Amino acid sequence: MNDSEISDDYVKERINNIVIFMCNECGQGSANTAGVARMSYNPAFRIIRVQCTGQVGPIQIMDALTNGADAVACVGCCLGACHFFNGNIISMHRIKLLKKVFKELGYSDQFVNQYTSRAAEGETAVGDFENIVERLTTAIKEKGTIKDGS
Amino acid sequence: MEVKVFQFNGCKKCFNESLLLKEGAKYKVEYVSNPKNWKGEKVDVSVITGYLLPGNLEHLENIKNNSNRIIAYGDCTVTGGVFALANQKGHDVTPLANLIEDSNSVHGCLGEIEELKLAIDGVEVPKLKNLCQVCARKATCDYMEAINRQIELEDSETCFNDLGFLCSGFNATECKEKCIDYNTPCRGCKPSIDRSGIRMLAMFGTLAGNIEIATEHNENGATDKLADEEDDVTRNLPDIVGNFFRFTLPTSGLPKGRIPSSGTLLEDVFIGRLIEEIPLISGLLGGAKSIYLTLKFIEPYENANQIEVSAQAKKYREELLQLETELQGAIDKENASAYKEITDKIRFIAGNMNLSNVFFGGFKSIIDPNDDFNEYKTHVFDVVEGTYKNGSIEYAIDSDGIITEIKIKEG
Repeated sequence: MNDSEISDDYVKERINNIVIFMCNECGQGSANTAGVARMSYNPAFRIIRVQCTGQVGPIQIMDALTNGADAVACVGCCLGACHFFNGNIISMHRIKLLKKVFKELGYSDQFVNQYTSRAAEGETAVGDFENIVERLTTAIKEKGTIKDGS
Repeated sequence: MEVKVFQFNGCKKCFNESLLLKEGAKYKVEYVSNPKNWKGEKVDVSVITGYLLPGNLEHLENIKNNSNRIIAYGDCTVTGGVFALANQKGHDVTPLANLIEDSNSVHGCLGEIEELKLAIDGVEVPKLKNLCQVCARKATCDYMEAINRQIELEDSETCFNDLGFLCSGFNATECKEKCIDYNTPCRGCKPSIDRSGIRMLAMFGTLAGNIEIATEHNENGATDKLADEEDDVTRNLPDIVGNFFRFTLPTSGLPKGRIPSSGTLLEDVFIGRLIEEIPLISGLLGGAKSIYLTLKFIEPYENANQIEVSAQAKKYREELLQLETELQGAIDKENASAYKEITDKIRFIAGNMNLSNVFFGGFKSIIDPNDDFNEYKTHVFDVVEGTYKNGSIEYAIDSDGIITEIKIKEG
């Protein structure tokens, strides 16, 4: 795929299903704050509220991807601030391993990502969402979508 | 009861093992090593062995139409097995259940003959214990301190995962081959649950929870995010697919690989694997030539890197090669009792038919209590980048110990 042929906007328009697992504390909290402040974000995001991102594993992520998601991300509490113990860190380790699996299979590793956010600041959630779309757009232009050729 | 055993592609280890069905003359067994030429006649039970490709569908349907029951025997047929690692490079090794419906399965690499007999009789296999319940090592399930690729053999009491050496025994069932008894961690050839590889990935991610992971600053919104760079978690795990998904890649729910294929299916299985895993992988897929193939891989690396092999270890290796020749003779004559006797002797030295005990520089566990184990004991070796050649096999490894190129000239 050649960069000169396809624009970023063209790719972004076609990203319409991004599943976000947000933890009930900071993740969902920041999305609520963003809502109260009437910040807008891409309608492609489908938020699934979970108690903690430590509940989410490769199985749930792969199920989302095989059932039509363009990308999956987890948004948890800040490092060291998990409301349970270390669920966000455990989730990061799992996602890191899954990213490596994608690389080993010849795919981009940007279909799964993990972010942190702060409940008091809505812009952290919206900023994470923007970053997901940016990274996904670059990845799709370089290596195609996860649905291509599988 | 009339039983026909069909061998499709790949190593013939399970096909040969089914020779033991002849013991006791309970079944009328016939062997079909080339199902493409099989004309088709009514049979009670058909046993399918070997890995399958979509091109085999026609022959499988022929077998299904002529059989009352179908049993998939061995991991290659049930879940794709070790040959399915080639799917990482775009091949299409497919489990039997994806091609035809209503078949029974006997897991394992090598598939267990007692379970096959039960399946043929139509008896349900008794519930098996989890591998950890029968393991001599004790697990604490604490977070690991570091991920290791090779371990010292001195500690035989601590769980492999506690030592930072990934073992899939958590979601495997007890088995006859029992690699864990020969200082070889389980790779999950008899999984106790569906999609075991991906579940093990989650478990291992949790166990590695205390190891530092790379994060980076996200300028949009100014939070942290998981970084894409290498870190302590991934640096020591260069081949996750080969270790966690060794037997179950097509059934794991992962997408098919897009890495360009670089040769035959067998060569694609080896590319990307780690040098310390090579003896076990060649032991798994070498069939009736697994000992020969394994030593062909090991010896050039030992010679090039001055890994000493004692006279005792050499003697055991020669004995193994001799036994392999005898085994071929027993298979050719379809002599079940000779086959059993010789495989018992191979198991005594090599641990099991997957050669878990054979390694670089010697053997991983004690063979004969009368011998001095220190004489033929293997030890941790350094990974040295380079090209290694031994007659028909030539392979190159990079500085991480990953096989980057391979040429296998014989079948």
